[in-house]
Amino acid sequence: MDPIFLMNNVWIMVSGVLVFLMLGGFILLEAGSTRMKNAGHIAGKTVFTVGITSLVFWAVGWGLIYGSEGTLVGFGDFFFGDATTMGEGLAGSTDFFFQMAFACIAMTIAFGGFAERAKLSAYVVFAVLFSALIYPVVAHWIWGGGWLADHGKQDFAGSTVVHLTGAMAALAATIILKPRIGKYNKNGSSNDIAGHNQVYTALGVLILWIGWFGFNAGSTLGVADAFFGYVALNTQLAAGAGAIGAMLIVWTVTGKADVPTTLNGALAGLVAITASCAFVEPWAAVVIGFVGGLIVFLSMKFFDKAKIDDPIFALSVHGTVGVWGTLSNGLFATPELASVGRPGLFYGGGFEQLGVQIMGVVTSGLYAFVVAFILLKIMQKVMGGLRVSEEEEIVGLDLSEHGSYGYPENLPQTNKNTEATGA
Amino acid sequence: MLSKRMDSVVKSYEEINAQRQSLMAAAADHQKLNSYHDQLMANTVRLALEKVKGELGDPPAPFAFFLMGSAGRFEQSVWSDQDHGIVFAGDDSSKSYFLRAGVEIADALEAVGYERCDGEVMSCNPLWCKSVEGWHRQVTEWLTEASWQSLRHFSTFFDSRVLIGNTDYLAQLKQTAFSILEKQPGLYRRLIDNVDFYRKGIGIFGQLLPERQGEQTGSIHLKQKAFFPYVNALRLLALKNKIYAPSTLSRFNQLPEEDRFLKTYEKDFRALLDFRLKFRRDAKTYKEVHLVPIQDLNRQEKQELKNMMRKGYKLFSKTKSKIEEACPK
Repeated sequence: MDPIFLMNNVWIMVSGVLVFLMLGGFILLEAGSTRMKNAGHIAGKTVFTVGITSLVFWAVGWGLIYGSEGTLVGFGDFFFGDATTMGEGLAGSTDFFFQMAFACIAMTIAFGGFAERAKLSAYVVFAVLFSALIYPVVAHWIWGGGWLADHGKQDFAGSTVVHLTGAMAALAATIILKPRIGKYNKNGSSNDIAGHNQVYTALGVLILWIGWFGFNAGSTLGVADAFFGYVALNTQLAAGAGAIGAMLIVWTVTGKADVPTTLNGALAGLVAITASCAFVEPWAAVVIGFVGGLIVFLSMKFFDKAKIDDPIFALSVHGTVGVWGTLSNGLFATPELASVGRPGLFYGGGFEQLGVQIMGVVTSGLYAFVVAFILLKIMQKVMGGLRVSEEEEIVGLDLSEHGSYGYPENLPQTNKNTEATGA
Repeated sequence: MLSKRMDSVVKSYEEINAQRQSLMAAAADHQKLNSYHDQLMANTVRLALEKVKGELGDPPAPFAFFLMGSAGRFEQSVWSDQDHGIVFAGDDSSKSYFLRAGVEIADALEAVGYERCDGEVMSCNPLWCKSVEGWHRQVTEWLTEASWQSLRHFSTFFDSRVLIGNTDYLAQLKQTAFSILEKQPGLYRRLIDNVDFYRKGIGIFGQLLPERQGEQTGSIHLKQKAFFPYVNALRLLALKNKIYAPSTLSRFNQLPEEDRFLKTYEKDFRALLDFRLKFRRDAKTYKEVHLVPIQDLNRQEKQELKNMMRKGYKLFSKTKSKIEEACPK
């Protein structure tokens, strides 16, 4: 067997595993950013919905993205299982595994908008619908040879495909679900519903950061020229700059070096560089990450003021910054590195690539939002609501949705007494 | 007979409460406002002591009821919470009587509009109701232990003045503290550390930093961000210069020659007191008294507030340097 072919496949399998590890990062990030009473639920539903997404991606997702070359959607290769398919220097199954991990990430981002108030059944149904009808369509448009790919849309590892698509579904969900109990006061001011464990959140961010090397550097889809090292370098620089940017702006504006904002800054740097990590120079990666860190803070404030309750800041980190990351290609892509599309505005490419990027963001974002909104509205009607009752929300989703508590020692004593007396 | 007497007392608390609103509204300045507070509190405490006298007889020993916190410093706004203690002569055999008095006083003050203290700094709490001997031991223990909590208690205690009773007891206790500090000047640094952390109200671009979450969103917390630096600086200077007076203004006035240069900040503190009265006169609760919504301020008022805050930070910083210079490690 050709050693390069083998190395390609080993590298992409390792990258796929790294991307999959990001789900562990999300579990810690989300659990740490929410309250104790929902921690078990948040962690458990992530694993469960990854299971659903994997099966749906296997059944129809892959086929709708890569099945055949159509403008709007692909068709064919459903229930993928061909061990002999070889493409792009990769075995089909290796490519499938890598792409499936991306679909799981997009799904988990979308569920950020459900946090601390959605019924478990809403997660189950939406996991099927999102994985079959939303993610594959956008992925096909940009990565599967669809109409945006024809325009030369640059999105190397998925600022739009994964992050913006997930975030737009999260936006639809959070608008329909409405804010958590206690988030806003009668006078319109908002309360900080602090997450229960900043250490979990920080560790979650670090695991995501590590996984991102699979996400971005793995998106080279091969080992040719060892270009993955360059992509990893840009990724690292942007993440660092994002953390610094967010820490600086939150400290400047509020006088406090807020930890959750700083952590979101690192993630913002990572999201921002995702689209452009293979197309820009390292100094540009620093600028892109740094601006991402600034934008994420402003976006968090914007959504808070707009009374859109975003418990784990998915809309800002993945949505707003996903947009910035995609557009940054149109500014910073260099002629030497722009293997897709054209160079950016600052490299003599004019506004052409920027225009393509804007078109990509608007159409992909709109599609994901509108379809997610319609599907969730239908679900709301059919399922008699997407949100747990007020009592269930107050008692916490660990107990209401699963009957057991993520931190059993903290279970209120009264319940034990009730059980003990058989009342 | 007793129940009739109690009814008349309760009625009187209500009467005092009814007077409160008109008195507060009539207070033209900070000085008058605090004199009215003293009047209201003294009347209330006397009535409470009368009630206890009806129940348990005459006080078993001479005593002093003293105020602490903003009341002790004569710096209350239109609403205030309770911070008070009792010191009595003799031994602890009288303690139960004075604790009962403390309970009645706390209830009475609450009935006339003074919220109970969250930190339980009230004479119904055994920690703040002691014999002269007990208090001497307590003050010595706080300064010897010199932990974060014990020094917080000591600082609270030091901003005290007698409202009813013999003023000598409190003066003796402060004298005890001065002697200990004189022998152990390292304690000044611990006392600085104890109050060195405060949340700044001005950002690096000179912008006001209001509360960003909760119902107070958009408001500046005057107590934490503007008053504390002045109050803490002058308390430290009072300890260093053996000044017995608790009020920040009196402490400014009694600064010795070597610290006179800090007296320039007195006018800023006066301005801050006036500012609070001007903007918080209509506050409906104790919580509201400290919060100034910045959208209610015009450009010039915002500038004034920033200046007063900046001066406070400077005063604290200069005080800190001065004391650290005088008390090397």
